[in-house]
Amino acid sequence: MSNDEIFAAAYREHYWAVSRYVARRLDGRMTEVEEVVAEVFTVAWRRRADLPASPLPWLYGVARNCLANAVRGYGRRRRLVDRLGNDETAHGRHIVASPDTEAPGAWVHEALNRLSPADQEVLRLTAWEELGVEEVAVALGCGRRAAAMRLHRARRRLSAEIDRICPPTVSKERSHG
Amino acid sequence: MADELELLRRANPVPVDAPHFGDGPLDHHAERQLDRLMRERPSRRPRLLWGLAAAAVVAALVSALLFTGQTTAPAVAAPRPLLVQADSTPVSLKTLADRAQETAADGAPKLRKGTHVQSWSMGMSDDKPPITLPEERIVRWNADDSHTELVVATDPRHPGRPVLGGEGELVEDGHVLSRQTYPPSWSDAPPQSPPPTGTARLRAYLQEAAYSRTALNTGELLDAVASLLDTWTLGARESATLARLLADTEGLKPVGQLTDRLGRRGQAYVYEGPGARRMLIMDPATGAVLGLETTYTKAEPEYGVKAGDVMSYRAWMR
Repeated sequence: MSNDEIFAAAYREHYWAVSRYVARRLDGRMTEVEEVVAEVFTVAWRRRADLPASPLPWLYGVARNCLANAVRGYGRRRRLVDRLGNDETAHGRHIVASPDTEAPGAWVHEALNRLSPADQEVLRLTAWEELGVEEVAVALGCGRRAAAMRLHRARRRLSAEIDRICPPTVSKERSHG
Repeated sequence: MADELELLRRANPVPVDAPHFGDGPLDHHAERQLDRLMRERPSRRPRLLWGLAAAAVVAALVSALLFTGQTTAPAVAAPRPLLVQADSTPVSLKTLADRAQETAADGAPKLRKGTHVQSWSMGMSDDKPPITLPEERIVRWNADDSHTELVVATDPRHPGRPVLGGEGELVEDGHVLSRQTYPPSWSDAPPQSPPPTGTARLRAYLQEAAYSRTALNTGELLDAVASLLDTWTLGARESATLARLLADTEGLKPVGQLTDRLGRRGQAYVYEGPGARRMLIMDPATGAVLGLETTYTKAEPEYGVKAGDVMSYRAWMR
């Protein structure tokens, strides 16, 4: 198969996985997901000669860089919207509160958010994208041992944050299985 | 015991079976994007390539001059901008749209999927002079909805002379740069879906083809027209709709008659945009779009580009 055909096959196979990866990191800003995913595959297309045999972790790595750019852009737009003041999204009114406003696992997210971005990413790749250590290493562009070490430390720090927040039901669950 | 990773796993905001992004076939948007990427030509490749290409040209030119004399001088010169005949009378787009409408009354010729286009596009490098690649591209759709794309290096102004190939190297006139057959595709998003007749619907179609959420400005509209013509060979009715839409578009100024690089008579309409000037060439009798030339309006010294240089030129044929 030519590079082009390999790229097309990878696109078809992993389009939705890459979309989920991006959606998980954009906190519900669904309209931006498509744009970022389009950017991910445009970059991947230009670099299609580098596409490895198992392309998904590599695509996550590309997506991570695209997201960093998108988030910077989002920050600029956010500041502009805040200054304009009247936009509904600026006040969060486009989000309809449900009877149970706190989403399940919200406190886990809170614990996660207290960690450094590097810790957050290695944990998300492991728990949400379900990557093994070798794949995490590809996505982060580091060696296998470094990835294993980062994960180990990040898990310890997440555990400490969870204990600190410590909702009663969870502490029970954690202590009694 | 639920460890921290398991707790995090359960708090996955977008699980694999999420309604929006669950695994399955691509949707229209994703199909369209893949199609667009697969159709990207080498002219959009990184600049490094053009650096190499320019070096190859210089080397080839030197050897041609040193060893072979001047009889086989390659046709690598960049095209000069098209010149409007000084004594010609400009025809307004409204008049042209009226003519196109009359011509379309019998419905012939018909709309056809696929295209036939000759293009010249400039590639730039950070440290070498810009070069221009001449290409002819033919796309034919088959009965099973598969299609074949053939791209050859050729410059109809200099038949039989060597030209720059897709990678910037010198090749024989007519050298096949790529020949690819694509499997059946049923995308129904613009520009893959048939263009509508009716100016409002065509305007919306072009906006969608340009992936824009807001109304297109005139420069963007002309680029979207080019992407339409790179996909479809318009029939008389569609050409008449397009001529009417262009007549209703701000900023297109009739400048007079000219002869295009394929030797065809055309009426020219100019749009002066920021940094670039676009000139649309239309058939004076049928109102069909024949070509689009984009020229730089200011110099870009770091790329060796002068004001007035041709950035790209496309000529569509039936």
